[in-house]
Amino acid sequence: MMIAASNSAAPSTWVEKLAAPLKAALQHPWVESIVRLSAVEDTLRSLHPMLSLTEVRAQVVRIVDETADTKTFVLQPNALWHGRHGEHGPRAGQFVQLRLEINGRRVERIYSLSSRPGARLLAVTVKRQAGGLVSPHLHEHLKVGDVITIGQADGDFTLPTLLPAKMLLLSAGSGITPVMSMLRDLKARNYQGDVVFMHVCRNPAEFIFAKELLSTANRFPALSLLLHFDDSVGRFTPDSLQSAVPDLGERATWMCGPSGFMDAVEGHWATNNLTAPLKSERFVAIPMLPTTSPGTPVTVMLALSGEQFVTSGNAPLLEQAEKAGLSPKHGCRIGICRSCQCTKKSGTVENLQTGELSSMPNEQIRLCISVARTDLSLDL
Amino acid sequence: MSFAKPTHLTRQQVDDFEREVDAIRASVMNDLGQSDVDHIRRMIRICRASEVGGRALLHFGVGPLSWVAGVLALANAKILDNMEIGHNVMHGQYDWTGDPALNSQKFEWDIACDGEQWRHSHNVTHHTYTNILGKDRDLGYSLLRMTDAQKWKPRHWLQPMANLMLAAGFQYGVGSHDLEIGKYTHGAISKPEFKARLNRFLTKTAKQWFKDYLLFPALALWSAPRVLAGNFCANLIRNLWTYVVIFCGHFTDGVAIYREEDTRNETRGDWYLRQLSGSSNLEGGRVFHILTGHLSHQIEHHLFPDMPAHRYLEVAPKIRLLCVKYGLLYNTGSLYSQYKTVMKRILTHTLPPKNATTSPA
Ligand code: FES
Repeated sequence: MMIAASNSAAPSTWVEKLAAPLKAALQHPWVESIVRLSAVEDTLRSLHPMLSLTEVRAQVVRIVDETADTKTFVLQPNALWHGRHGEHGPRAGQFVQLRLEINGRRVERIYSLSSRPGARLLAVTVKRQAGGLVSPHLHEHLKVGDVITIGQADGDFTLPTLLPAKMLLLSAGSGITPVMSMLRDLKARNYQGDVVFMHVCRNPAEFIFAKELLSTANRFPALSLLLHFDDSVGRFTPDSLQSAVPDLGERATWMCGPSGFMDAVEGHWATNNLTAPLKSERFVAIPMLPTTSPGTPVTVMLALSGEQFVTSGNAPLLEQAEKAGLSPKHGCRIGICRSCQCTKKSGTVENLQTGELSSMPNEQIRLCISVARTDLSLDL
Repeated sequence: MSFAKPTHLTRQQVDDFEREVDAIRASVMNDLGQSDVDHIRRMIRICRASEVGGRALLHFGVGPLSWVAGVLALANAKILDNMEIGHNVMHGQYDWTGDPALNSQKFEWDIACDGEQWRHSHNVTHHTYTNILGKDRDLGYSLLRMTDAQKWKPRHWLQPMANLMLAAGFQYGVGSHDLEIGKYTHGAISKPEFKARLNRFLTKTAKQWFKDYLLFPALALWSAPRVLAGNFCANLIRNLWTYVVIFCGHFTDGVAIYREEDTRNETRGDWYLRQLSGSSNLEGGRVFHILTGHLSHQIEHHLFPDMPAHRYLEVAPKIRLLCVKYGLLYNTGSLYSQYKTVMKRILTHTLPPKNATTSPA
């Protein structure tokens, strides 16, 4: 999963222009008391799964096996998708949010687009994460014809309109997806400069997009393809990068891969005072229940009010917030009424009644029976 | 009537009881999944179809039979929306799904009671202070005298009438509940605060009237009276039904009433015991349970207010066994037999206490 923040502009398709006032009217409190928006949406969905006033939905039209544990899902979006054309369409390197319901629970993950911007269809390439929740589900259950909900393309890991003369696209593992999209874009834009595409993975069997990359290398003169297979030439280091790409300091670089890989490259940039721009997209795994012991001070960010406070993680969040001079809504204070419920955007909390730790993003928690076990961000 | 002693159990037994109830809760809560969401969505679909069908029969049907069918279908929709869907969703039983249409804090239902006010009067006041005299305002709905501990006043001679009116207009009783008129007249609530609450209640009521008594009749053109009467009757049926179910859940024979001082420093085990002794169940079939919003399992609902209600069926036998083990009353019976005891209670407390000088308790 990648995290990047950007505020994309709000363009609209013609369908959106029609749907938006309808949606606004349906959300008017008086109208809502006659017919709920959710009822309208359900009815539309039962007419056709792609019909919606509020959601970008996309139908799976093709599933491509890339490697043993990687699949590309080719999706046909509905008309609320922000255009294939023009500046508001998706840009190479951006991601989309996929929303699924797994065993009754709504889950959201973001995946880089691997398709070329402007393409009629979009594609995400997903590596199956052992022990993960979403990627195995996608691999096992998503079939051609299924309809899922997606977000608009977002993220600022993108190519500029004016392309530099020398570029490096650097990726490791499944980090290849956004830079692959960039390469497809370069090709479509008939890039005349000099681009090095370097990809690192364990062995040829794990090389995602191998066929396409190799054939592109043959036919696209601007591209030099460099491959690093750890199993045959040893672990990748910044030195191996430096020796493979001697003019590293002159190349504007876009990089995506696991954290360790990117830390190493960024370190190399810093120690050698390389001045060429280095842009990267981070893979941030969903925090897997870190165990901060009770009493460790943590920071609670309130995203809506912009306030924050520090708590020792001993007493319930409601109490701690009140001690910090805030006054969140509450009722029973013993976990029954849910007046104190709010969305936890990120972080880990412990439920004092069940002792359960949970790190799910965008989860509903009750402040009166939750204690912070990591830094938190709450929608308050 | 005497107050319930917190319990005859020893501290150790109460703690054991707490652990056993917790374990029952955990076994279900850890097992929530697709079938639970499917259940509530199916209910929502049935409710919607029933409303559309009912309104269509009222608008386009001819003759009294289609009118009766229309009323029943619309009443059915309103009952489902209030009980199995609204009540349960607003308790947070489906918050774990992450679906905004099932979010407890956002849900609004087809009844004169404003959702936000209900969340306060019901989820906070009633479920936290269940059957504590002076704190649980559901006890007699500030209208009826349900126990000897409530002071008898001459107006209680009219109690049987008041009961009937409350039953017929139950949605307004529930809707105005959070106004706390008594508190306001005693000066415990400020005027602006009271006005804001009143405004909320009136706005919601106006919305309901607009829909049922103005818009839909007007849309029916010459069938307007037929539609208006149909909507009125559907609301009436729903009111009577919800009234009966709720009264049978708390005011039957054997339901315990507590004093505030007896419930101070309650542990969760004590709280469970109070919820158990303050509620009573109804027996019936699957459809009956659904139409009550599973408040036929009031006991299980009060123990686990945020557990998806259709799971109470599988939990009930376990709670019943616990009651046998710990020697506690599991108050259950048919609708008829339970309501008989409710009526008896309302009628007995209509009369002034025989020995008017004895102080309560
Ligand atoms: S205050 Fe009632 S659940 Fe937290």
